[in-house]
Amino acid sequence: MISLEEIRSCVRNGIEFVKRQKDVIDAEIFVSWNELVTVRLNYTSDIPCNGVHEPKSTQFCGIGLLAVFKTGKEIKIGFGSVSNNITSKGITEAFSKAKKNKIHDPDFKSLPVPISKPVLENYHDPAVMEMSDEAIVDLGWRGLKGALAEYNQKGFNKTIIIGGDITITKERMAIANTKGIDDFDESTILTTNITSMIEKERVKGTGWNTSTHLSGFHPDDAGRESAESAIRTIGGERIPSGTYNVVFGRQPVTDLFINLVIPALSLSSVNTSDTPFLGKLGQRVASELLTVYDDGAIRGVIGSKKISCEGIPTGRTDLIHNGFLAGFLANNYFSKKLANKFVSFMPRNGFRFEKGGRSHTIQPRICPTNIVIEGREEVPGQSLLSKINDGIYIGRIWYTYPINGLAAGDFTSTIIADSFMVKGGSIVKPLKPNTVRINNNITDILNKIIAISSDKKETIVWGGEEVVLAPEIAVHDVRLDNISGFTL
Amino acid sequence: MPIASRIKTELIDTLKETVAKIVQQASSLKNCKYADVRLGIQETKYAHAENGKAKGMGEDSSISFGIRMLAGEMSAWGFYGQPIGETESNPKSFSKIVTQGMNRAHARALANSNKKAEFKAIAPSLAEVHLAKIDIRQDTIGAVFDEDPGNVPLKEVLALCTKISGEMQGICEDVQYASLDVQTGIRRELFCSAEGACIDQSSALTQGMVAVVAQKAGGVPEVCYDYLGDLRGWEVIKGKNIYMQSLNDFALLRTHETLELTEADFLPATNGPVVVVTNPHFNALLVHEIVGHPTEADRALKLETAYAGRSWLLRDLHDNELGRQIASPLVSAYSDPSIHGYGHYRFDAEGTPAKRVNLIEKGVFKEFMNGREYAAVLNCPPNGSMRATEPGSVPLVRMTNTVFAQGNKPPAEIIAEVKEGYFIVNHRIPSISESRENFRISAQKVYKIENGKLTKLYRQGGITSDSKDFLMNVDAVGNDFAVFPIPNCGKGQPMQVMRVGNGGPTLRSKARLTGRQEL
Repeated sequence: MISLEEIRSCVRNGIEFVKRQKDVIDAEIFVSWNELVTVRLNYTSDIPCNGVHEPKSTQFCGIGLLAVFKTGKEIKIGFGSVSNNITSKGITEAFSKAKKNKIHDPDFKSLPVPISKPVLENYHDPAVMEMSDEAIVDLGWRGLKGALAEYNQKGFNKTIIIGGDITITKERMAIANTKGIDDFDESTILTTNITSMIEKERVKGTGWNTSTHLSGFHPDDAGRESAESAIRTIGGERIPSGTYNVVFGRQPVTDLFINLVIPALSLSSVNTSDTPFLGKLGQRVASELLTVYDDGAIRGVIGSKKISCEGIPTGRTDLIHNGFLAGFLANNYFSKKLANKFVSFMPRNGFRFEKGGRSHTIQPRICPTNIVIEGREEVPGQSLLSKINDGIYIGRIWYTYPINGLAAGDFTSTIIADSFMVKGGSIVKPLKPNTVRINNNITDILNKIIAISSDKKETIVWGGEEVVLAPEIAVHDVRLDNISGFTL
Repeated sequence: MPIASRIKTELIDTLKETVAKIVQQASSLKNCKYADVRLGIQETKYAHAENGKAKGMGEDSSISFGIRMLAGEMSAWGFYGQPIGETESNPKSFSKIVTQGMNRAHARALANSNKKAEFKAIAPSLAEVHLAKIDIRQDTIGAVFDEDPGNVPLKEVLALCTKISGEMQGICEDVQYASLDVQTGIRRELFCSAEGACIDQSSALTQGMVAVVAQKAGGVPEVCYDYLGDLRGWEVIKGKNIYMQSLNDFALLRTHETLELTEADFLPATNGPVVVVTNPHFNALLVHEIVGHPTEADRALKLETAYAGRSWLLRDLHDNELGRQIASPLVSAYSDPSIHGYGHYRFDAEGTPAKRVNLIEKGVFKEFMNGREYAAVLNCPPNGSMRATEPGSVPLVRMTNTVFAQGNKPPAEIIAEVKEGYFIVNHRIPSISESRENFRISAQKVYKIENGKLTKLYRQGGITSDSKDFLMNVDAVGNDFAVFPIPNCGKGQPMQVMRVGNGGPTLRSKARLTGRQEL
């Protein structure tokens, strides 16, 4: 592990070095150390298995250097990176690569400048940074135990599957540039996402738990929750194809936002003209009940950071406010490039997330942090069922993609678990998993929201980098198609 | 100012002996049952341009290693991986860092084994890991190319991207966005195991990615992403590829097609199945999703239940589709790393010799792709299908060149026999059900077929069906077999993105049409 002092020292020495180089008019140096620990679970009651399949980790550190050169009248920028060497020799090599890689990009305007002071300080858990291999392995078995104990207690011990993982991310970074940015960040993230099944009953349940600190992390709760959820959906039935009123639970809400809504609310999608929100700034794009913003400065939430990977303090970026399009996520490059097309958006979301950390090998792209979904008039979760009266509660969806491209907004997804039929405002029976495909358009869904719950939970989905503070959301007239005559 | 020093693939020659020695020493660690080390070096040149403007270029190399270990009374896995820097790449420093990694993997395996033994009372299916036996081999395989990626000037790569993306945008003002990414390089990976294997494999990779967004004023944008590539050198960009087209011609063709689509009607969806003819490019994604993924043994054995899902081909070890008819007798499918394509290799990431795996023969499901651990569980021979995106990641069962087999009917004849139906051209985006038993896949283009002729072009369409229904209804298989590069197959946790080859010939079957969602 590399100390924060070493990282900060490398950044500062690097800036002094680059300032002395010929033709360099500006530069930015990013140095990071990251470790990603994953403990993958796999328990199958009827197939020989490992329980905890493999505890594993990867770690990486290094320097990413962006230099701005001026030769005659032409401005050129170049990026170079060096791994596992944060010495002065590493800086020299990174600079040499940047110089060799320099290009003239007419859309590059300038490096970021200091904007304000960060809100978050000292929000990571030193105990996570120092965890032993035994303690890491133990977390995996705790997750498994939570689910196993619940199944055993309820008398289910055949055709059980328990899968998922415990993931621990440790990040240290520092950044400085010739415009005055000089800051650092340190974060720890613990997540678990556990899926379990009773296969002969064709039911699947999900549980998850997240924390920035070890003391608040409970994989056993996630395991138990997954088993409880699976047991609750035994005896599910099919529904005919049609249009239904629906309550989307937190996982589907997160899935829809991470795969469809948030990518469309990024300036990188504006840059490629691949978003249904193009040209709609200030216009109504959703139900007036809906407000969405990104806020990377919420203490205790796992998507939070002190600063972006460009050194800009995190904070709130309004995206949709009371149904009206209020803004886009931005980094420094796109904020300045597209400033003539729009108002200039605060570049709070320039991050170098890659391979489970803040990577020195890439330049900042636009990434969300904590996505917060709020309702103008929020209601208790239980009231959502009475809002739809008759319909479907959807607790988990899967493989959500913009099937005709992001700009078209069409999407499809299958309902795979945790779902129920609703009648007269109450849950009456479970829905059979893997028998319903959602076929809809995301702009249509956003406009047909009829209620948003007040109780929210940090929610993550596979492959997503961001966390959603997700409520449950009621929507009317959602197209659902009965599928899969051949089911497991 | 010194020129940036870079790690070269030749460094493996210097480190090979050190790796072999360290992995042999692992056998002396307490209760160590098995260990392997993978060491990889990748040298790449890349460039990116948008709308005729340079956006970035680089020439870099990376080196990383990964260690897998089985240890403990109740044999369990432990893994450790990391990249290393140039300063650690001399044998002495390298030996120290890999030995530390070995000790971490060992500590994790022991802790895991102890817990496994403790839990055995409440979880009786917990078992020691057994690895099916393989031939222990030592071999060296060189990269194949006509034009060495190392000899291509970086500025030439950027100039190509800038020129082509500019030409794409210049075709018409309706082209809103045109971008090109190109990369070319060499990857070399060393595999050494405590059993004595030592395999040194290299491959070249050259790839171009085209992105186009086109839109008529006030219309819905039409988007196209497509790839051209192969495990070869710079000649791929000049036309030695599956399309037999230069990257320039390929990019301009995709741009023209995207523009043509902006004027087409949206495909109306149907409530019931209709006759569909799917072209080889579309079938690349189809075989990937409904045959390739469900025939991965780790998925079938439920290891992906929380992530990418299970397999409709195996409920349990005694109740499954092995030996059963799951497709029309006209349909065969196989996975073959020995043929050319993104899934080509000679040994997998466990040192198992690569071989063709017959997945479906004349409609009957025959075999899963597997690795040594899963072969032992399924009581069958290992077939060499384990790969990792990079040495620092754990190997998983991955598709190789996974394809529908060649038929004997000319594609023109397959279309000519259709009185009324649809021709589904080139894949776009998939959405697959949890066990791959149902799919919806969109196409770049759909043509109406009337009386054996293509009559009208539609946009934003595709097909949906239960997988088995689609496969059972195949009534014609073309003789136009082709394997396409699929660069972005995601699997595992943390997710690994793998290059695979997929393809097949033209097929004719039945499916529901999907179209633009009515608002």
